[in-house]
Formats: sequence, structure tokens, C-alpha cells
Amino acid sequence: MTSAVFPLTVYVLVFITIVFAILLERETDGGKMEDVLDESVSEEDLRKFERRYHDSLAQGTVTHVIQFEYAWCLIRSKYPTDVKRGIFLLEDLSKGENESGKRDCIYYLAIGNAKIKEYSKALGYTKVLLQVEPGNRQVQTLKHTIEKRMEREGLKGMAIIGGAALALGSLIGLGVALARK
Amino acid sequence: MSAGPYNYSYIFKYIIIGDMGVGKSCLLHQFTEKKFMADCPHTIGVEFGTRIIEVAGQKIKLQIWDTAGQERFRAVTRSYYRGAAGALLVYDITRRSTYNHLSSWLSDARNLTNPNTVIFLIGNKSDLEAQRDVTYEEAKQFADENELLFIEASAKTGDNVEDAFLETAKKIYQNIQDGSLDLNAAESGVQHKPLQPGRNQPQNQPNPTKEGCAC
Repeated sequence: MTSAVFPLTVYVLVFITIVFAILLERETDGGKMEDVLDESVSEEDLRKFERRYHDSLAQGTVTHVIQFEYAWCLIRSKYPTDVKRGIFLLEDLSKGENESGKRDCIYYLAIGNAKIKEYSKALGYTKVLLQVEPGNRQVQTLKHTIEKRMEREGLKGMAIIGGAALALGSLIGLGVALARK
Repeated sequence: MSAGPYNYSYIFKYIIIGDMGVGKSCLLHQFTEKKFMADCPHTIGVEFGTRIIEVAGQKIKLQIWDTAGQERFRAVTRSYYRGAAGALLVYDITRRSTYNHLSSWLSDARNLTNPNTVIFLIGNKSDLEAQRDVTYEEAKQFADENELLFIEASAKTGDNVEDAFLETAKKIYQNIQDGSLDLNAAESGVQHKPLQPGRNQPQNQPNPTKEGCAC
């Protein structure tokens, strides 16, 4: 009796998980552009600003502007190694910048960290900005976007763990059923 | 409100450009949230907003890139121009300098977008009539000479804000209908998103007829 009921429950739960995963995927609109974190720089533009940075580096004429522009493009790259390099350059810049320059760096540090899934670090940066400008809507929006992203990642993680647990459960169920025969 | 987030058949990309402080972000906010932001700090880099609108019975999702007007962002914000179907070029009717810089913004827009990109000139802050520094007539003439659509609007009162965004979309849609905008071109700024089967199909969307189908 139990061996018949148990797998059935498992199948129902697996079904629910699949439906849940599909709904979750739909919520993300199939990966379409929904916010600033989805957007990426074109290869051509990244190369352009990279060349400018490296040329001025070779000549020892790197300005804050040149470094910031290159770092901003790196942050917008779809490759995590680029994003990490962008973070490194912005961290370096933010030490020596004036107030408005610092604000730019911190904003893009928040985006960069969110893109490589360092969510708590990213949220930390938005908090720094909101301490200075509590009413800044652009920063509030970014904070909300990061929180939504975190939640979504969390749900996805749960769905995967849940699915794995159910699969394991059904295997055990099957084992038990076979052993009883 | 049956309009679910996926019930749209086109995506149009817009950019908003113009000098700093002309009210680009306030226009975007008024359009997406129907609210006026009184104390608006300078935009950092770019901002993004979306809204689904309806043109000729078709749901269209607008993806709007609002660029920072400050000079230090200009080099990188240029990289957002590519592939825009619509460009809203904004000046402030109470500050002549923002009007004088229009030709520089316009040449950027022309050089970096495709020839079919619809450019809409917006004279913002029309509520501040007493401080007007640019007449309607001269701006209208500038718009005509450069083949731009033109309207004066107020992000504060909301006056004509909807019109500017919607008229741009209508013009883009018209360009699609008469074939002057090639949807397959990589940088048209328009994505056609055929509705998935089982969703409410708009009545006026012609269904492809299957020829010689015996089923």
C-alpha cells in the first residue's frame, strides 16, 4: 500500500517543482532586457575604450576620465573576468576621486558586484550612496533591482535543491518498493 | 487590466538625450510613474525605464535609456545610441544654452543611430512661461529644418509628456508598416515578438494562411 502511495506523492511534488521552475523562468521574461543588470556593452565599444586606456597607460597619461570610461565598459561586459577587472579599476579610482567622481565609482561598483553575484557587497555600496542621498531614486531603483535579483537567485536555488531532494526521494522510494518485492 | 507583462508584440528601444538639467529623467519618470520628482539629482551614467503602450491595437514595450547629460559621461553614453528606434532630444525652454547645444546632440544622434531612427524634439518646462528664453516658433522652425517631430512639454504638470513618447512610437510603427524600417536589420531598435500561441491574439494581426493545407 505505502509503496504505491509514496511514488505518487513524489510525482506530484516533482510536477509542482517543474511548474514552479517554468513560472520562475517566465518571470524573467526568457532573459530579456529588464533592468540595468541585463544590459551589456558591445564588443566594439569595449575594445575602443580598452585601446584608449592601454595607449595612455603606455604613455603614462592615464586620467581619471579615461580609467573611469574603460572601467564602466568593463562593468557592462557579459564576461565576469571583465567585470572583475572593472571593479578593480573602480576601487582604485574611488580612493583618489572628488565627491561626485566617488559617487559615480560607487554606483558602478554596486552594479559590477551585483553582476558577479556579490549581492551583499553590491547592496553595501547602494547603502553608502543612500546615506549621502537618501532620496536618490536612481540608487533606490538599483537597490530594489539587486534585491529582486537576489530573491530570484534564491528561489532558483531552492527549486534546484528541492528538485534534487525529490529526485533522491523518489529513488529511495523506488529502492524501498523493489526491496519489498 | 488584462495586460500581462508578456502580452506585447513589439519592443522599441528609445534614448533620451540633451544637456544636463533639462529634465530628461523627470520626463522619463513622469511617463513611467505618472509622478513628478521635485528634487532630482544628476543621473549617474544611464538610467533605464520601461512601459507598455498601445499603438493601432498593438501592444508595444518601450525600453527607454535615459542618459546623463553631464559632459564626463558623454563618451560612454554614446554607446547607448546604437540600435535606438526613437531618440527624444530634450532642451529647457527657460535656458537658451540648452537650446543652442541642440545641433551638437543632433549630429551625435544622426551619426550614431540609423537613418530611420525617429528623433523627437522636446522643449521641456513649458509650465515656466514667465521664464521662457526660447520661443515656440523658433524651435518649431529648427525642428522643421531638421525634419524632427516637435512638442513643448512639462514633466512637472505632465502636459504633453505622454504625447511625446506615444507620437514617437506611432511614427516608428508607421515606418514598420510602410516598410521603410527593416525589422531584420540588426540595429533597427525594434524587436518583433510574435505572441505565443494560446495567448490572446490581437484581432487585427493577420494570421499567415497555410496554403494547400489539407488538415
